[in-house]
Amino acid sequence: MTVVDDAVQQCRDLLDLLPAEALARAQERHPRVAGFAVFPVYAPVEIIHAAGLMPLGLFGVGNKLEITNADSRFQSFICSIAKSTLELFLRNEMKGFTGAVFSSICDVARNLASVAGRNAPGMYLEYLHLPQSSPTEACREFTRSEFRRFRDNLGARTGRPITDDAVARSLGLYNRVRALTRQLYQERRHRPGVLSAAELFTVAQACTRLMPEDAIPLLEDLAASLPMRKPVSRDCVRVVIEGSFCEQPPIELIEAIEAAGCHVVDDDLVVGWRLFRHDVPAGPDPVAALADAYVADSCYTSVRFNAAQPRTTGLLRRAKDAGADAVVFAAAKFCEPALLDYVLFRKALDEQGVPHLKIEFEEKMWTFDRLRTEVETFTESMLFE
Amino acid sequence: MAYIAGVDLGSGGTKTVIIDDQRRILGTGNARSQADFDAVARKSLAEACAAAGIAREQVEYVAATGLGRYSLDDRDIQITELTCAARGAHAFFPEARFVLDMGAQCTRALSLREGGKVKAFRTNEKCAAGSGGFLERVARYLEVPLADLGRVSMQADDPQPISSVCAVLAESEIINHVSEGKTIPNIVRGAHNSLAERSLAQLKLVGVDGPVAFIGGVALQQGMVEACKEKFRQPVLVAQHPLHVVAYGAALLGLTRWQKRAAPAMA
Repeated sequence: MTVVDDAVQQCRDLLDLLPAEALARAQERHPRVAGFAVFPVYAPVEIIHAAGLMPLGLFGVGNKLEITNADSRFQSFICSIAKSTLELFLRNEMKGFTGAVFSSICDVARNLASVAGRNAPGMYLEYLHLPQSSPTEACREFTRSEFRRFRDNLGARTGRPITDDAVARSLGLYNRVRALTRQLYQERRHRPGVLSAAELFTVAQACTRLMPEDAIPLLEDLAASLPMRKPVSRDCVRVVIEGSFCEQPPIELIEAIEAAGCHVVDDDLVVGWRLFRHDVPAGPDPVAALADAYVADSCYTSVRFNAAQPRTTGLLRRAKDAGADAVVFAAAKFCEPALLDYVLFRKALDEQGVPHLKIEFEEKMWTFDRLRTEVETFTESMLFE
Repeated sequence: MAYIAGVDLGSGGTKTVIIDDQRRILGTGNARSQADFDAVARKSLAEACAAAGIAREQVEYVAATGLGRYSLDDRDIQITELTCAARGAHAFFPEARFVLDMGAQCTRALSLREGGKVKAFRTNEKCAAGSGGFLERVARYLEVPLADLGRVSMQADDPQPISSVCAVLAESEIINHVSEGKTIPNIVRGAHNSLAERSLAQLKLVGVDGPVAFIGGVALQQGMVEACKEKFRQPVLVAQHPLHVVAYGAALLGLTRWQKRAAPAMA
């Protein structure tokens, strides 16, 4: 087994765990560290880490937990991630966590935060009002105040005020994690067969379940080992995957897309944890620097609006920069932000003559044959027309 | 000279065709499919290379198709058997706008657009009753070698009806016919007629109204071809090697891709 195979397998093993189990795994290296769950899309994990807590991505539970209680709180047309997240709280499966942070990404997430809060007495449930609109001075000030509020509340909760120095240190670590992730994405874009999209997705998602101190050596080893890896040479269509910015698809779905003849050259998977385009300089006020980066240096997602730079432009640029032939729009079932955006994306892609395919997924999905055939038909229509 | 391979990893057999860049067939291979698809495909590919008089390393591009297409590690591309069947059948019979591909476990009816592209299709993948697997059972019940089934069927003078749509239940009907003293050729022809009727139902769903290219292993059976001619009331066209048509289609599509990839280098 190569270094890359070994690292990817470790990440797969980590993703097979429930959040509390992943936390317990981290505690073997970081005794007594408490967890703090981060519901997608984005939260300033640096502040959580600076508080001496472990930020841990809350991306649902896949097939690891049967949904039995959450169905009684949510309607059938609610996305999987909301239900499985609530199920964790209802079943007391968040042992070891001090709290969790949600943000204003959609109506479901907004209600999830309060419903989870009512069912998790003793936990600190934070709700961040992240600005939806375009970057303005007022927007910047508002974001700074929200991040400071979060910092102060978290410090009060843990009984240890969070210092700027601590945030700056954490920012340095997460800058490194994001830079290494960007490097892997670049490598895959230029040599698509060298690291599959499923492998990179596995690694990126697993990094949300690692302390940055542990993610960095893992990513560094991967980056150093990739040049030695022989790429799998296949005749494929280069595609961008769009629409999976919140709930994450099963890894098997990404594997099916690749098996059907696609080289995934860019995507928005786990995008909240790699949101910034560049390293964020800590400066004298690292919390303000983080807020400013969120406002001005984050990549587009369907949960933000910027009139000057529409998301459709962002997608077209992403596809062009990656040298993509097509876009696969993979949205979670009942994900309103994604599905509403699809209308705009489809129009923009059609106007530019970029082929596209829409598929939907949910956490409990376990059979991918039909989907693979669908993608295969799509790729063949491009390869042989 | 470039050599392209099309490998059809079917449930019954794994067929390979090697062509050159002039689309000429240089060699074929055939191996019985087993659990290790990759190993079987390599064996079939090696056989085709030997028949073509070339080394495996000389094959520039490998296009895999069939249900086991993802299992061939050494492939450049995988293509659905529908696309390959359409392209292969069109290459042999450009006048045919309909294709019936009958393999061991699956029967597909296709209608084609210009250039041998798939327009519509119907498939029976979930049940062996309408495919070659059914005939294998019939051959086993009647203790007739599978290879002789088509010839035996041609001796029929009073074909017996087999109405069941289930291969397992059809066995009871066959036993009844045997116990009633019906001859083996008449029972076999009954099975062929039954399959032809089911195929016609699929073809009707894709709007059959012209010549049908009949491909796949079952098209090797003369009695089956005759049954189809009677039931379809359309010309039924059978290639010299119907078993390899899908693999040939894969090779042609592979050649298309190879030429596109090689074009910048040649320019």
